[in-house]
Amino acid sequence: MRNPFLDFRSVPIRKKEIPLDRIVRAKQAIMDRIIEGYLALVEEEVKGLVWLVGQSHEVRTYNAALRSIQGLQYDQDDVEELCAELDSAKKVPYLISGPAGIYLSALINQAREERILLRLQDFERTFHFLGYRLPQGKTLILRGNVGDFIGASLAGGRLVVEGSAGNWCGAGMTGGEILVTGLTGQKTGEWMRGGRIQVDGRIWGVGQNRYGGEIYHRGRPIAPLGAVDQSQSEDDDGPG
Amino acid sequence: MALDETLREVWPRVRKKHLFPELPYPLCAEGEKRVGLDIKEKAISISREFVEGMCQELVEGEVVEGLLDHAVSHYLCCPWNLSTHLRLYGEAKKVLRDKEMAKKATDYFMDVVADTHCVSQKETPLPRIYRHLRRGVLDEAVHALYERIWGVDLGVEGHEEISRKLSRLPYLDRSRWGDSMKRFAKAIHPLLQEERDQGGLKRPGPMGGHRMRQYSKEEIERGFKDLASDSATPSEFKEIVRDFEDDILEANLSEDGSMGLGPGRSLDADLLYYMKLAENWMLPIRKMPTKKSGSLYPHHHEPWEVGKPYQDIDPWTSFGKIMPGITQMWRRLEGDIFGQWEGIPDCVVMIDSSGSMTDPRQSLSYAVLGAACACDAYLRNGAQVAVYNFSDAWSGGRQMLPYSRQRREIYRNLCHYFGGGTSLMVEEIETLHEGKVPDLFLITDMQITNLETLIQYFNQCKNRITAVHIGDNRHVATFRQSMALRKNVEAYAVEKKDDIPRIVLGKVRDYLYRETL
Repeated sequence: MRNPFLDFRSVPIRKKEIPLDRIVRAKQAIMDRIIEGYLALVEEEVKGLVWLVGQSHEVRTYNAALRSIQGLQYDQDDVEELCAELDSAKKVPYLISGPAGIYLSALINQAREERILLRLQDFERTFHFLGYRLPQGKTLILRGNVGDFIGASLAGGRLVVEGSAGNWCGAGMTGGEILVTGLTGQKTGEWMRGGRIQVDGRIWGVGQNRYGGEIYHRGRPIAPLGAVDQSQSEDDDGPG
Repeated sequence: MALDETLREVWPRVRKKHLFPELPYPLCAEGEKRVGLDIKEKAISISREFVEGMCQELVEGEVVEGLLDHAVSHYLCCPWNLSTHLRLYGEAKKVLRDKEMAKKATDYFMDVVADTHCVSQKETPLPRIYRHLRRGVLDEAVHALYERIWGVDLGVEGHEEISRKLSRLPYLDRSRWGDSMKRFAKAIHPLLQEERDQGGLKRPGPMGGHRMRQYSKEEIERGFKDLASDSATPSEFKEIVRDFEDDILEANLSEDGSMGLGPGRSLDADLLYYMKLAENWMLPIRKMPTKKSGSLYPHHHEPWEVGKPYQDIDPWTSFGKIMPGITQMWRRLEGDIFGQWEGIPDCVVMIDSSGSMTDPRQSLSYAVLGAACACDAYLRNGAQVAVYNFSDAWSGGRQMLPYSRQRREIYRNLCHYFGGGTSLMVEEIETLHEGKVPDLFLITDMQITNLETLIQYFNQCKNRITAVHIGDNRHVATFRQSMALRKNVEAYAVEKKDDIPRIVLGKVRDYLYRETL
């Protein structure tokens, strides 16, 4: 009787290396390092899983984030992928909004691209602190709704939010521009020192402690002239 | 060389290259010039027009080999089966929220995976075919991706950003396909919108689209079973089934009623959900001593024909006429009585659909699922099932189905939801018995207004009774306490899916009927 497996002997089996293998390996290595950096940051900054917003906390976290990504070669796709990982919580065991947002901001600020677009509209989680300390020469476009402290301490960059932002939008910004096509929450521009915030939707409240800068609502300056007339913006929903 | 001859020469080579997949011999068919392949129940059809068109640039053997490589890779790698196809579609739909876009994205993703698998493992002329294909907007981007990940020149210009984004996905890592599908769909979303604006969404890709009919009937059944298990709610399942409704009907799965086809041959996704989910559990049934009575009893009607005995004619259903085609006669079957041989009696399923129960069409109802598993178990063992769906809602309040083996009808009665309060009419249950001693299966949360009547009835019953209560409350305690001494009643609690397989149907501590009695 003829051995039925003889036919298999003459079949060459060899896996070719195609560029995809190399690309995926390289990207995986970068992502592993980025995630490792985030986890180290969380471990260092958030003892007991509590992280409170405060000037010293943010600065310390940001500096720690810069240290952990030092020397890392990545691009905006990696940043977007980190957002996806944080959203799905598969590789990242816990997401703590403040440090996560500041870490993402540090990555954005140190990325080699000058214009970065993040598509956040399909994510379930809301990201806070994006655009923190965005430097001059950088443009960050956030597609989708975002959380609190968007563009906080903005330092000359251009931040475009194609959606709505939460409370404390542009808090403590020193320069640059924030454009929000949707609405912004309470205390918009709190502790603002310079720059410009332009909101196309409703502004739920302007910060009372401002030291400079301009806030525009649908093209009209409302600060430093005075508080926003809430009755003018009747067609939007509340924040969040 | 004629295409049939080329195919005869190339197919053994392709089979050998792919380690002899179990696929039928491919066919040559008249087809669209733009589309190379069509697959129906695993049979590959190659379009003559497409091959002729491509032969202006390539040798016929190369074109045929490339097309076969593509088709075989789909069979061997991605999607592999319908479960994977539906899972990928579900992920794409989450991102794109549009049926046609999600289908298109899924098709392209599966093409990328299958072709990349083939290119990375075999010698194939596929890249040469792709170089000469006519391209739409999306094809351009996908071919740009191929250039990047295969390291070949396909003559595509532009699409730098999108191909860069797409090239980072681990297409060959099966465990990450769900995630990759999402990111793939997200990246090509703008192009899909462009295709939609140009009316190209329904047009299949150049190598052919992916339809339900490409899978075998067993695979389709299995695919929906897996989908039902993976779906958290009936609506999640329903959404995907609705999207594929035309495909399912086209795949002609209606004959045995296993696909939940309702009136007008539309698909009742809720029935299908419970049907498929129930297939995951096979509840055991205790057999009971029965034996054939030796007497024949009128069982059902059948048309009378010339030559058949007159004495069995039923004048009441024959309109008093003796005429083939109109006259009905009784078909007599031997009856069962209790004896030494073991068998499975018929069953009356009583299901509570009052307001305190979960609406099976809104979220997963353990009552319907439990009852469905019980019905399946009896049907599988050749018994019949009658259904009594009860509540005391003003709109009807109850629904009764006499003994039947029609799975679809049984499920339709199980899935009916009345709402309102709960009241159970013992007389109505007795009418369902039809003179038999069936098993009784009750599934309820026991919040029945006339629970005492039910307990009293069960105390008198000689049937084997399986009572399943959803959740726990004081009424359950009352019921359990009252039934504690009854040897023919077994109560089970169901609070989660995993409790269902613990049910043993017809479990009694002692048989009340014995031949000696």
